[in-house]
Amino acid sequence: MRTARSYLAVLLVAVGLAVVVFLARRRGPIPPPTTITGTAAPTPIPGQLVLFFPGDDSFLHRETREVPEIPAGNAARVRLVVEELAAGSREGHAAALPWAAAVGAVFVDREGNAYVDLSPPPPDAIEGTDTELAVAFATTNSVVANCPGIERLQLLFGGQQVATLGHLDFSRPLAPKLDLVAP
Amino acid sequence: MRLNAILVLGLVLVAPLPATAVTVTTPQGSGEVFARADLFDLVALLRLTGASVQFAPAAGSYSVTLGEHEVQFTPGGSLAVMDGRLTPLPGPVRLLEGHVVGSLATAATLLAPLGWTLHGSLAAPELAKVGQAEQLDVAVVRGTTGSTVIVRGTKQKPLVTATQGGVTLEFAAAVELTHPVPAEAELLGGELHQNILTLRLASGIELAGSYSLDDPPRFVLRLARAAPAAPLLTPRGGPLVILDPGHGGEDQGAKGPGNELEKDITLAVARATAARLQAAGLATRLTREGDETVPLTDRTALANRLQATVFISIHANSSAAKGAKGAETYYMSADASDPQAAQAAAQENAGAPKDTVQLILWDLAHVANLNNSARLAREIQEKLNALQSTRDRGIRQAPFYVLTGATMPAALVEVGFLSNPDEAGRLLARDTQDQIAAALAGAISDFIRNPTPEPTAAVTPSP
Repeated sequence: MRTARSYLAVLLVAVGLAVVVFLARRRGPIPPPTTITGTAAPTPIPGQLVLFFPGDDSFLHRETREVPEIPAGNAARVRLVVEELAAGSREGHAAALPWAAAVGAVFVDREGNAYVDLSPPPPDAIEGTDTELAVAFATTNSVVANCPGIERLQLLFGGQQVATLGHLDFSRPLAPKLDLVAP
Repeated sequence: MRLNAILVLGLVLVAPLPATAVTVTTPQGSGEVFARADLFDLVALLRLTGASVQFAPAAGSYSVTLGEHEVQFTPGGSLAVMDGRLTPLPGPVRLLEGHVVGSLATAATLLAPLGWTLHGSLAAPELAKVGQAEQLDVAVVRGTTGSTVIVRGTKQKPLVTATQGGVTLEFAAAVELTHPVPAEAELLGGELHQNILTLRLASGIELAGSYSLDDPPRFVLRLARAAPAAPLLTPRGGPLVILDPGHGGEDQGAKGPGNELEKDITLAVARATAARLQAAGLATRLTREGDETVPLTDRTALANRLQATVFISIHANSSAAKGAKGAETYYMSADASDPQAAQAAAQENAGAPKDTVQLILWDLAHVANLNNSARLAREIQEKLNALQSTRDRGIRQAPFYVLTGATMPAALVEVGFLSNPDEAGRLLARDTQDQIAAALAGAISDFIRNPTPEPTAAVTPSP
């Protein structure tokens, strides 16, 4: 008798939970997961990038770099350029981005502006005007030089819009500064 | 028996939990959207408007297009680019069970530039096309004495009330925002609830005035820093030099190999320069008298408020290129200083013929100011070049935050490189600091006492 009562109790609990599940499912059908529609895979185009790195003379120096593939889309191209820049100079120039900068999101709008989100620099990584100029304009000059249609670049740090890193105005997209490039 | 009970219970409990979905009402009908607590599938919501939503794997961002409008956002981010404007989102965009989700407020922000609004409750959200309500576009223009908030698209004159930490604008009829209220240094953002727009202001910022303008219709709010405890005196008559020792307080600036601090060197040089200028009969004031933190905008604002004759910001440089050495002097980029003031003038004065004249006058004054800044920078650099130990790195233009908005000839001087061990040692020496101070004081005196403009007045904006 006691066994029968136990089975009945378990059965009641099970039925109760099943009813809860049933009612919850009635709230609406499970929508399909969001389909991520990718853009068409770019055709690999081996080519050269022109990058800018700071030198002892306070000018930015051109460095040409072979890459196995230049993406067709500008957003992907911007990412490639900044990642190559973050990887450092292969010709002995100083670092344009003097910390282990990781590239997050990249936005490209219809106005010719590109926005690149970088991992934030540690507190002492960027000191002095020259370092900040290199961060701003080695990046801007490199992106504009390699990405047709991009005219200005704004750097974001850690997903945030930053007014300044101490000296320069980073609150809006910057145009390239060719007078900083070594003759 | 106990085992059986556990088995039955286990079977029920491990059954997959139901994914929830909410029905979103749209003008065409309704659609089901994945939802968890207060988070909604943003991509599905956006697609209900008829927008095209594409994910670019290489960029890591979504692009949403509807007609002429374009919105870009990224999973994991709290920023979006909306019709070319970088805009903070109310909350982050997240990935949850294969869905790109965000709060209702985030969804509403992304929908706004596409011409859609999101109303209703969490359980029954409603998508609606932007209706007949006035479409307000809130913009902020940073000025020399404070920011100007321009609310475009309204013919109403709202009831303006200054509140603790903000301002409310109560409109007689319902309004809608085309974009979220932008956030910057003085305006921290804002929210619209039906006909009440609440603007949040930064600490120490207050409403200085408001007025409405026509053609095009707009409402303007002027913000200003709260008056200082002790009123500053504007010098009467003679020229006034503002020296800005870079950094200070918590902001130490660059550090030399022996832990020499930029903030100490700039203060020492500024004090020595001030002493020489005062001895020469020129009124001088420092933006900081000791080791204190002073925001960059306050430094220029002080110079503007006192109607200074010149503004010099003194710094010591640092570079990742360890061989870098020498002094260099900067003044504001033409392309960097123009837009904000020009935008302010244009936006506040659009329409009326007299404003065109004002704009031309402003432009002439601005170009003259830029030319004078170039001359000031050249005077400084030439004097520094004359110092035997200082290598000439020339004068340059760059978009310096501290020079933005200066209404007088202004320059930023880098007196040497702390990252260079030899130069760092010299910069710390009292003799070198005195030599630099003498050079700066001489250049400033020459600039003020010889106001003749150069024959070639045109300044070529930096490319």
